[in-house]
Amino acid sequence: MLLSSLLLIPFLGTAVLLLWPGEQPLGRLRLVTIAILLVQLVASLVITVQFDPSIAGMQLQEFHSWLPGIGLDYSLGIDGLSLPLVLINAALTLVSAIITRDIDRRPRIYFAMLLLISGAVNGAFIADNLLLFFLFYELELIPLWLLISVWGGANKAYAATKFLIFTAISGMLILGAFLGLALLTGSVDFSLTPVLSDRLAMGGQIVLLLAILLGFGIKIPLVPLHNWLPDAHTQAATPVSVLLAGVLLKLGTYGLLRFGLQLFPEAWAELAPGLAIWAAISVLYGSLAAIAQTDMKRMVAFSSVGHMGYVLLAAAANTPISLLGAVFQMVAHGLISALLFLLVGIVYRKTGTRDLKVLHGLLSPEKGLPLTGTLMILAVMASAGLPGMAGFISEFLVFRGSIAAFPVATLLSMVGSGLTAVYFLLLVNRAFFGRLSITPNSDDPIKDARLDVQLAPVAPRETYPAIALAAAIVALGLLPFGLSYLSETSITALAMQSMGVS
Amino acid sequence: MPVIPAELVHSNPGLDTEQIIAKLLGGETLLSDTPDHLIEVVDVLESYGEVLDAYSKNLIYQGEHQFLNPFPIFKYLDGDLSPAKIWRHLNHDRINFEYAEYCMKGMLWHATGGMDAYFDSEAFNENCKAIIAAKRRRDPLLAILHPLFPDFLSELIRNAATTHALGQFWRVMSDLFIDLAKAERAGTVRSIPDVVDFIKQGLVAAAANPIEYGVTIGGQQFWILPPEAKLTFLVDVAVPYVEAVFLRGMPFLGTVSYNAQAQQISPDQATFTYGALYADPLPTMGAGVPPSLLMQDMYRHLPQRLHEWYWERTRGEGDVREKICRSFQKSMFCVTNAAISGTMPHALDTTDPEEQEANRAYAASWAGRLVIGRTDCLAA
Repeated sequence: MLLSSLLLIPFLGTAVLLLWPGEQPLGRLRLVTIAILLVQLVASLVITVQFDPSIAGMQLQEFHSWLPGIGLDYSLGIDGLSLPLVLINAALTLVSAIITRDIDRRPRIYFAMLLLISGAVNGAFIADNLLLFFLFYELELIPLWLLISVWGGANKAYAATKFLIFTAISGMLILGAFLGLALLTGSVDFSLTPVLSDRLAMGGQIVLLLAILLGFGIKIPLVPLHNWLPDAHTQAATPVSVLLAGVLLKLGTYGLLRFGLQLFPEAWAELAPGLAIWAAISVLYGSLAAIAQTDMKRMVAFSSVGHMGYVLLAAAANTPISLLGAVFQMVAHGLISALLFLLVGIVYRKTGTRDLKVLHGLLSPEKGLPLTGTLMILAVMASAGLPGMAGFISEFLVFRGSIAAFPVATLLSMVGSGLTAVYFLLLVNRAFFGRLSITPNSDDPIKDARLDVQLAPVAPRETYPAIALAAAIVALGLLPFGLSYLSETSITALAMQSMGVS
Repeated sequence: MPVIPAELVHSNPGLDTEQIIAKLLGGETLLSDTPDHLIEVVDVLESYGEVLDAYSKNLIYQGEHQFLNPFPIFKYLDGDLSPAKIWRHLNHDRINFEYAEYCMKGMLWHATGGMDAYFDSEAFNENCKAIIAAKRRRDPLLAILHPLFPDFLSELIRNAATTHALGQFWRVMSDLFIDLAKAERAGTVRSIPDVVDFIKQGLVAAAANPIEYGVTIGGQQFWILPPEAKLTFLVDVAVPYVEAVFLRGMPFLGTVSYNAQAQQISPDQATFTYGALYADPLPTMGAGVPPSLLMQDMYRHLPQRLHEWYWERTRGEGDVREKICRSFQKSMFCVTNAAISGTMPHALDTTDPEEQEANRAYAASWAGRLVIGRTDCLAA
């Protein structure tokens, strides 16, 4: 029942918000949503306490036969791979709700969709049945599409439609792979265990794995399937971007590890060298594209493309250290990208622009956004993998775990890590250093130096979520053993299982 | 191109050369006469007067009691070495005397006026020799240093002399600015022209005050700036101070980086325009921006009326030091205005065409320097 609470709390919350009679003000709806998400966070923490890290397999399992004819069962379980993601989902959805302050229309539906997404993501992470996973995976698409298309920016319809088309294809590929597995094995048992693929010939396995790779590759996203992400981020409101980057992309990497690596270990081993190169390309492309951006949000979005490539590299290497690095990277990227998007959102709200050709000197102590700038510097340092913060631990583990297996791809990815410092220093240098200004530089420096800028100050309450995220990033960087304690056994078992097979 | 909300960015029009000349010759003040400006200028000068009082006392203390002290670690404590004072100092509950030294170094480095000319004289050189000889007999460290670096101690003496002279200058200015606030409260100063006139009268009254400085070593009196040098308040200290601090200044480490090799800083320091009248108030409180220290010091002594005036504007307390900087810049234009007016070659109402021409040339020379200053702060 404990795992079911992760579904019940957000779904019941969605129902409560939707069925609440009368017109409710935004503030009240926000507080109720925050309360529900706090309960969800507490439930996730209770599960963490109940979780036994020494056990490799699924724990706290729940099983109810649902539609046995088609192999769909209500089967839940959690392990060291999914638990950190459940925690990050609870934390970041809460952050998203807290930072939602200025929704201009239909707040009831907005918050209901936020809760629905959170529940669906929980469901996907704890589903112990392929079809149940797929159900939750698809369930999350519609509310997210609504969040972008209703509460997005000027070009929201384009971005939302693009998102829907890409992710619908992703869903079809994943469903196709799951059904293909049933077709080729002649079984309608869609439970994650026992592994069915060992009954398959290598050719069949590779075809199914490719479908999985493409399906989740869209979600992660990997180059060249990333096209939807920068547009979705650019048009989405800040809380939605936080959720998208922090949580929803992790569905892709989680799916890759759970349904790619775990279900098809033999085929995975065959494709691994290609996957490592793909990862390196994704990392380099994401980083180089980020350098070329002048919209802060697009830059952070492309940085996501690059950084999620590390997870593929780690998965391709498939060693206990690299897979632990993948889990760290998922959590670290969740926290760091959430913080980055949150801070970009503050800059946008205060200045009305995210254009790096226009923003200068926001670190100005008296008239600028000094705390936002300080946190931004911390966030970009974490993203660039500076020691003492979460990004360093994850990148170090990924590179350390992958270098022996794929030295070239790892070295190329390390170059990408260096490029992170390049584009984020560009961002910080342009937007936060120098004289405060939110207009393009003219040819007359004396005229430029006489512009007075009146930015509204950032209220302390606006930065509390960012400070909490920054604290979590530093805490994870300084005390990584908590997360490794939770995940190490499951991750090692996952790596060993596929090693044994290969 | 993004749409930047118009209320976020704006700039005031500055004055052009002809406008400045017209104002100077017409007896008009550079700063427009508004009730808000009066509050800003009078109150910020009052707080500046309080700060200058502390600066002045400390500089004079340094000149007299820390003279050629090789380790002046307690130089900011004015001789009070009580634990409470040291704690307040370490806890930064104190005036930033570093800013006073920064101004002193600016004066010493730009080296204009009669005091600098005296530093190069034979008389000063002889005095230095006598002082160093007396000091070497009592201080073994200086006895070793002097033969190794023969110019070192005489440079320190120039330093001490400038320190003491600036202290004397600020003593007068501090009293003048505090008296200005009293006069405004008493109702005798009611407008910006009154302010400029009050300062001008104060400067004229003190113009001939002698600037002298002597030290006692081993019971023996030595002159560093002797009465025979005939150094006076206005010409030998006030004018070089205005030149060094208001006009030329020094490019400081802050949010703007300069490449001196690419001559982004002029190789001719006489053409420097980094002084208070040119400074951009926006980087106030940025790392390494020395005026920030002054703004912090003035903030400690801000009159209630001005503090409340700031609370009602822009970010309230959040950008108060930047607002102090803006007000301070306005007040410095008033002081400059008073100085120009007080040193005008002839009366403004003269009918003699030659005198008028001389006045015009004088005003034009100032206008040429002020026009690239932050005259945008002068508009109503």
